[in-house]
Amino acid sequence: MTNNAIEIHNVSKKFNRASDRRTSLKERVVRGRAKNTNEFWAVKDVSFNVPKGSVYGLVGHNGSGKSTMLKLISKIYRPTEGTIISHGRLAALIELGAGFHPEMTGRENIALNGSILGLTKKEISAATDEIIEFSGIRDFINDPVKHYSSGMYVRLGFSVAVHMDPEILLVDEVLAVGDEEFQRKCFDHLSKLRKAGKTIVVVSHGLGSLEGLCDEVTWLDHGHVEQTGPTTQVIAAYLQKVNSEESARSRQISATRDPEEVHEGELRIKGASIIDPVTKEPLSHAETGTTMAIQVDLTTTAPILGPNVRVAFQHDSGPLVAMISNHRQGTDFGTINGDHSVLATLEGTPLLPGRYRIHIDVFDHTGTQTLDNWNEVLEFPVRSVRGEIGQGFVELPTTFTIT
Amino acid sequence: MLTTLYQQRALIRAFAVREIATRYRQSALGWGWSLVQPLANLLVYTAVFTLVFRIVPPPLGSDPDKSSFAAFLFTGMVTFNLFSGLVIGSMAQLRSNGELLRKVHFPAWAPVLGASLVQFIQVILELIVLIALFLVLLNFGWTWILAIPILIAMALFAQGVGLMLSIMNAKFGDVQYMVTVALGALYFLTPILYPISVIEESASWLKNIVMANPLSWFVLPMHDVMYSLKAPEWWVIPALLVFGGAVFAIGFKVFERTSEDIGEIL
Repeated sequence: MTNNAIEIHNVSKKFNRASDRRTSLKERVVRGRAKNTNEFWAVKDVSFNVPKGSVYGLVGHNGSGKSTMLKLISKIYRPTEGTIISHGRLAALIELGAGFHPEMTGRENIALNGSILGLTKKEISAATDEIIEFSGIRDFINDPVKHYSSGMYVRLGFSVAVHMDPEILLVDEVLAVGDEEFQRKCFDHLSKLRKAGKTIVVVSHGLGSLEGLCDEVTWLDHGHVEQTGPTTQVIAAYLQKVNSEESARSRQISATRDPEEVHEGELRIKGASIIDPVTKEPLSHAETGTTMAIQVDLTTTAPILGPNVRVAFQHDSGPLVAMISNHRQGTDFGTINGDHSVLATLEGTPLLPGRYRIHIDVFDHTGTQTLDNWNEVLEFPVRSVRGEIGQGFVELPTTFTIT
Repeated sequence: MLTTLYQQRALIRAFAVREIATRYRQSALGWGWSLVQPLANLLVYTAVFTLVFRIVPPPLGSDPDKSSFAAFLFTGMVTFNLFSGLVIGSMAQLRSNGELLRKVHFPAWAPVLGASLVQFIQVILELIVLIALFLVLLNFGWTWILAIPILIAMALFAQGVGLMLSIMNAKFGDVQYMVTVALGALYFLTPILYPISVIEESASWLKNIVMANPLSWFVLPMHDVMYSLKAPEWWVIPALLVFGGAVFAIGFKVFERTSEDIGEIL
């Protein structure tokens, strides 16, 4: 007896490009049988096992084959090569409410959906009340579903699927349904199923939700398995790859000011960039928890006494998140003259993932006169390898104790 | 095959229930509509073929001196409609359930057979009208019982053809239009609007074509048992049942084999 709920051995799936399909008899006759030149492997030689009672995640970028994999497991597609063995009844949440008929009432649709998912009449009538209760739309259950809001629709769909008592539940990025309260209900229900020893396979982009939920993860890339293992490890590796690909693609974050820009003061901000404080290399993004530095290049035409360089961080959505300055840190640059580079190092960048803009200004030593200012110098993304989507903008240095 | 069908009866029934629940739900006349078209056809054809073309129907079984073109015509129409209803209904099912078949794994023939079950309601409604017509004409007899196995054989035959055509239609969208045209031609190549004796005299080559049309094999004995009130030769009905059953079995097998990738085709 095996301890795996699903066993996937060397599975490959080939598709023919739509442009090459014969969709009418005329085409089929005139152009002959479709040549298999335009084929494309959505999944290539994938093997992994899903242990019984575990929550298993599939990650990967768009087109990596994770949704195809889920359809293969749920038997909607047949593998071109390889075998998939699953032990126990499968229910797939590929699209919620896919089988609903708009003209039929919620209750009629529950019965239809239940039979499609393979339940007997008795099992369906036993589950109906619970489904209605869970969906929270008892008042509308005898109305045709075409009058439902999209929220009610997916709530009913989710309720039907999870109450079909599946031994293996396949979930495809559908957890973001309904309002906050219903989402929580969904997660609670999934953990309940998990405690009851059911196997759950989740496909998701929302890496934060995967981390909280999954025991093991397989990372798919262009149809093949890149890595399989414990969730935190695989997700960290995945994000590292995504981030490094982004750095390779996107330009480094630095800005040089147009020298023609009219400026009358004795001090001028020439440019700014975000760099790695160790290698001094410009970065393409910052990372929560990893030290970064902002380099501000200045030039003066006369000696300046103790200038105050201020850098403001503004979040994409508007609010000013923080303002740093050398005066506030108690650092006096003394008298400067000529070209200088000011380096502001942010130990363990406390900014949470998101996009931020930088504004720079320089005041004189009294803090009353602006020597130069430059708004919207640059914009940079902050990423995280831990995958969480932060609530708020900054991570406060905190220590928790309990007594 | 039969055990598979039995195991999935709940699913087939669920699709039948859906079909009943959704068909004509938003119309005032409801199921009445399903009788309007055949009755309108009956009226038009009867008028045209008795007044314009002056086709003489064979004598009624109850009284050799009387005949009724309307009753003769409707007997054939009911039989033909059973065939065309099942074929057209089956063909539409795979496409209209495409959304579902792409997202959930279940036997693709279930919605097809479910819709066909509902088609029987239509057939029964038409049969009631036909029986009422014959009762008015005082034309009835024990041979009516034989109509049941003939119609069952016809239903099996039609469903076998319907299953094969539905999968072809899923692959090639123009099949349904071709079938509509073909059904229109078959209607005239089946002795529905005229007794076979009419072409026997004038064009024997045409008679050969009509007799080669499998639909004629069902319509002729239906005329016998319902209209002329005589039993066909003993082997006719068993042969029809074997033929219908075989076509259904072949259609089902072909469908099962080719519908495995239905989620991708649609």
